[in-house]
Amino acid sequence: MDMTKKNTEQDNDSTQHYDILQELGDCHTSVGDYIKAQQFYEKAAILCPDEAGPYVGLGVVAMQKNLLDDAETAFKVACRLDKNSARAYAGLGLVAQQRHHYKKAFDMFLKCLELDTDNLIGILGLFQTSCQMGSFEKVTYYLETYLNMHPGDVSVMYPLAALYMKDGKLEDSKKMLLDILSLDRNHRDAAYLLEELEHNMAQARQEAIQTL
Amino acid sequence: MSENYYTNDGPVVSVLIPTYNRPQSLYKALVSVFRQDYENLQVIVVNDGGEDVRDIVDSFHDSRLEYICRNENRGKAYSLNEAIGRSEGKYLCYLDDDDIYYPFHVRMLVDALENETDCQVAYSDLYKVYCNQFPDGTQQVLSKVVEVSRDFDRFLMLVFNHVLHVSLMHHRDLIEKTGPYNERLNVLIDWDMTRRLMFFSDFYHVPEITGEYSHPAGDSDRISVQRRKDKNEYMENVLTIMTTRPPKPWPKFGDLSIIFISERLDKRAGKTIGEIRHRTFYPYKLFLPMPESDFNRLNIDMPNLVFVSAGSSSCAELQLDTALKKCDGEYIALVPADFSVRDLWIENPIYALINCSDQRQGFLLDKEGGHPWAAVFRRDDLRFARTHFSDLSISESLKAAGISIRWPRNEELPFQFDNLYNEALSIERDGDWLEAAQIYEYIAEKFQNRLWMKRLAARAFFKAGRHEESQNICNEINRWRPTVDTLFLEAKIRRENGDLDSAIELLTTAAKTLEGHELIWT
Repeated sequence: MDMTKKNTEQDNDSTQHYDILQELGDCHTSVGDYIKAQQFYEKAAILCPDEAGPYVGLGVVAMQKNLLDDAETAFKVACRLDKNSARAYAGLGLVAQQRHHYKKAFDMFLKCLELDTDNLIGILGLFQTSCQMGSFEKVTYYLETYLNMHPGDVSVMYPLAALYMKDGKLEDSKKMLLDILSLDRNHRDAAYLLEELEHNMAQARQEAIQTL
Repeated sequence: MSENYYTNDGPVVSVLIPTYNRPQSLYKALVSVFRQDYENLQVIVVNDGGEDVRDIVDSFHDSRLEYICRNENRGKAYSLNEAIGRSEGKYLCYLDDDDIYYPFHVRMLVDALENETDCQVAYSDLYKVYCNQFPDGTQQVLSKVVEVSRDFDRFLMLVFNHVLHVSLMHHRDLIEKTGPYNERLNVLIDWDMTRRLMFFSDFYHVPEITGEYSHPAGDSDRISVQRRKDKNEYMENVLTIMTTRPPKPWPKFGDLSIIFISERLDKRAGKTIGEIRHRTFYPYKLFLPMPESDFNRLNIDMPNLVFVSAGSSSCAELQLDTALKKCDGEYIALVPADFSVRDLWIENPIYALINCSDQRQGFLLDKEGGHPWAAVFRRDDLRFARTHFSDLSISESLKAAGISIRWPRNEELPFQFDNLYNEALSIERDGDWLEAAQIYEYIAEKFQNRLWMKRLAARAFFKAGRHEESQNICNEINRWRPTVDTLFLEAKIRRENGDLDSAIELLTTAAKTLEGHELIWT
């Protein structure tokens, strides 16, 4: 009777050290300590040279330092290591966006969302580049998909409300803005947009009466 | 051996280090020994016919260090016996040449044995270091996990070695009772010794992580790993261990005599005997009452086999009565030739019998009770029945003597902890992490192994999305006895909650532990 397997706490964990270094890199990025973040991502990359994660992290750090060439290189390495890395495509989108290459940025954010409809950077990036290019095709679908999974995320609800308004779906837009304000009554952008929307709707009603 | 093992600074501890062709790691192992905060050491390095390491040994310039260099490779058991022959400490402890002690390892175990327990054996927990090993001897740490952290369980030790040899410390005198390391074994020599040690002492578990043992990633070239690959050889080693009986008296084990009753030594009987040999972990002697002409027909290597001469036409009762006179076990199992031997066939009923306070109680060997007297009894009860009612059949004599026989109730069976633990693992596999977490919590409160179960509960709560419960448990563990895993888990939850400073602090401690930072050890 071999009880060996049953009586050990866990199997070999080959990524524990890597995971911790990566998490340290992410935490230091979040608190804005980019020098330390870079050190941890570099250590993680040495430990697991085939993982895309550290290169995404290094790309983010380079972006924060406004080193766009370095960031692009890092994100490209990440894409090469993992062609399904949504975060790496989001990073490439951000780099392109910073360089005002909106078409390329749009494509990268779109690729990112094809891999992960949940990626907030991708969603907001897609929305922003759409605004920058004046083309909103495809954006609404991704925003709605994201909200189905994350109802109540006001950072996505607001651009969607704006899109509805632009597309003439005024009732949908109003409902969304009211939902935002019920979740966050201090959301000033939503309040202003609602004010503008109601003004437009009132104006539309007035015009309709006059036409009659 | 000198008996002057006490000095003003406490008892002498002999640290035994066999080595074979690992000079780089041996140096690190020795550094860890000489960094012990307990100084009263005798350190014995035995070179088992590998590359000479005298220059490494000499580089320490420490008079506590003795070096035995042999040109011939004779194996770890031989090396340990050689070192034991030279040892003078009150206590013995062991270190492999690729493992390390933390600086408090020896002190903590000496404290336990001197002040905390009557046990003559103590052990602690170790990190298993999973690593990439490079040709120049350097290594890259991939993880450090506490893979085994079990409180001592005598019945479990019969089937599984849950005490890491490097974490072990025991009275040197015990070796005189257990006998030396078995040089016939080429694998599992540590389990063989811990199994024999428990005939004479309970083990005291110090649930502190006091060192590390390395486990290279990939296909290891370690001798112990390579030798496990030959399944037949491995099994022969296991069978040798299972049938090894140290000299009596055994203060911690009641001996078992198994009487095998068969009309003749035919193929079926031979098969049953073979099954008994393969599936009996409890220490035993097998008594075979049979005609002398049959003695040579059984070709089996069992040191615990006892032939008892019985007439060629003996009935079952006569065979039993003849064998019973020779039996010296406190417990006696009666096994008919057609008995179907399964895993834990004897361990289940004998555990119930040992812990049963009822007088004149026997326990069936199989749940179905296919054979009325296939059971295990106290020797005195069985002798009483057969002495006073020898003219009756076995079953009738037992009845006449007032001995009742039944299958153990669930709560009387061994491995209660393991059964619940396995249930939780199975529930985990089905994806019900919350229920698994609740079972781990229940086990932690009701059974042994609290720390281990708490760690598993924290992980399961996390996977179930119950991060608050997970954080509370991690927080408790990390204040008390942190591990890399629980530090990491708590850090992840704190990061989620936006407490980045605490997350960084926990992760930094975890990373330093992985990198072998000394601050973590003290």
